[in-house]
Amino acid sequence: MSTKLTKIINHWVPKNSKVIDFGCGEGSLLSELIETKDVLGYGVEISDSKIEKCIEKGVPVIKHNIDSGIDQFMQSGFDLSIMARSIQCLKDPKLALNNMLQISKRCVVTLPNLGYWSCRINLAFGKMPVTPELPSSWYETENIHLCTIRDFENLCSNENIYIKDRIYLNKNGRQGNLASLSPNFLAVEGVYLLEK
Amino acid sequence: MKIRTELIHFSEALQLECGETLDSFDLMIESYGELNESKSNAILVCHAFSGNHHVAGENKELGIGWWDQIVGPKKAIDTDKYYVVCCNNLGGCAGSSGPTSINKKTGKVFGKDFPQVSVSDWVNSQKILMDKLEISSWHFVVGGSLGGMQALQWSIAYPNHIKKAGIFAAAAKSSTQNIAMNEVARESIRKDKNFYDGDYYDKNVTPKSGLKTARMLGHITYLSEELMDSRFGRKFQDEDSKVDEDVNFEVENYLQYKGSKFSELFDANTYILMTKAMDEYDAGNSKGLDQALRNIKSELLIIGFYSDWLYPYQRGKEIQIAAMNNNIKSSFLVFNGENGHDSFLFSSKEYSNAIEKFIES
Repeated sequence: MSTKLTKIINHWVPKNSKVIDFGCGEGSLLSELIETKDVLGYGVEISDSKIEKCIEKGVPVIKHNIDSGIDQFMQSGFDLSIMARSIQCLKDPKLALNNMLQISKRCVVTLPNLGYWSCRINLAFGKMPVTPELPSSWYETENIHLCTIRDFENLCSNENIYIKDRIYLNKNGRQGNLASLSPNFLAVEGVYLLEK
Repeated sequence: MKIRTELIHFSEALQLECGETLDSFDLMIESYGELNESKSNAILVCHAFSGNHHVAGENKELGIGWWDQIVGPKKAIDTDKYYVVCCNNLGGCAGSSGPTSINKKTGKVFGKDFPQVSVSDWVNSQKILMDKLEISSWHFVVGGSLGGMQALQWSIAYPNHIKKAGIFAAAAKSSTQNIAMNEVARESIRKDKNFYDGDYYDKNVTPKSGLKTARMLGHITYLSEELMDSRFGRKFQDEDSKVDEDVNFEVENYLQYKGSKFSELFDANTYILMTKAMDEYDAGNSKGLDQALRNIKSELLIIGFYSDWLYPYQRGKEIQIAAMNNNIKSSFLVFNGENGHDSFLFSSKEYSNAIEKFIES
């Protein structure tokens, strides 16, 4: 995960909170949160090589396939759950989103925007988008449920999920004024703090 | 690697969970590596039910140690960096006080009268050993199967004396099926005509046949179906290496051979006692697991194996969830290890790396 995104998420994490990071990768976000916010953090990851990196960093990690359900985490009293750049890879993103908000009072979700102008140009030429943010071809991508920023925000509205805060990132991974002006067209990624 | 084997006598009494007391006891221990000046690099390895103190390296009497793939110089538990200790559990038959020891009160072997020891008793005896070694805290207590139960119990019973625990291929309690399997094994021993209700020591016989059957059954439960298929399939045993003429398939020959070998070395009363200790352990007890883990301070690494059907990986996951509910730093991993329940004994890149990184982190 980029340090820029880590900083944005860090801002939303209360000190000493209990955090779970779904699809935690090599544990860099949690490691940062443990260091700077003294959180009690747990990562959930499926890849053995990434899990090894978490262990190396001293980040508690659980090997678990998120697609098989996340209800097992409901009794643990988390303050915050995080799913960065993973929700579009799940079989049932809507269920996962609702479950995350049962696991913790708040959750952070980030997702790539399929409505970004360069994706639209790809589509205009009749091709599935291949961009720096979505680098894989259609036949090998893990992103099986891509959506636009508008789609995601509509889903939140339909599910009565309150968007407490949102940040739109430009192609440099920074919060962009331009991106915020017309996010569905100009933002590369949406970063959300959600509540139910 | 230097292997130090010693028999340590403890003259203090040990109050056992069953209500009885051992006035004194012996522990056979083996250790490797050197204790550093601050005594902060000590690791306790706990053995599974038929294991012993000989963890690593090779010696004449016991051959290659049971966890030699994991413990040794430059291995996952690196004896160049850590001081590693393992003791034969009380009730065992590899040197520590057990059914084959002499009962000082009667001058005869304890036999079936050796008190029923428990996982808690083992941990308490290991704590006394730790005090004797003048170590105030283990850096890591680790074990697989029944050894994993001891590592869990260490975390529960002595939260201030353990920094990290490794609980592999284990559960917070034995399942109904585990108890059922163990009872069949015990029954085969009890019904051996040479068992004499546990008093076979002065009869110059041992219940080898019952012990052999018990081990054959046990062995099946330690392996996975896939492993048995791939290792033996339906191949016939070649005539020259048959253990006896009734044997048809390779798998039969293998179990016969393993069972016989085990029955020569192991004590039947110990077998009964160890399996009972395993059956009776329940970390949660009446309180429930969440409540039982409340005071744990150590960091937990819980590992299961997909091919283990004796202690399925979900049992390990349950421990991790209960730990997480109690805000305990804990990780749960599951690996492919094809060796069934025995997978915890064998090194693989992922498994060894996880152990090594966890100890070092």
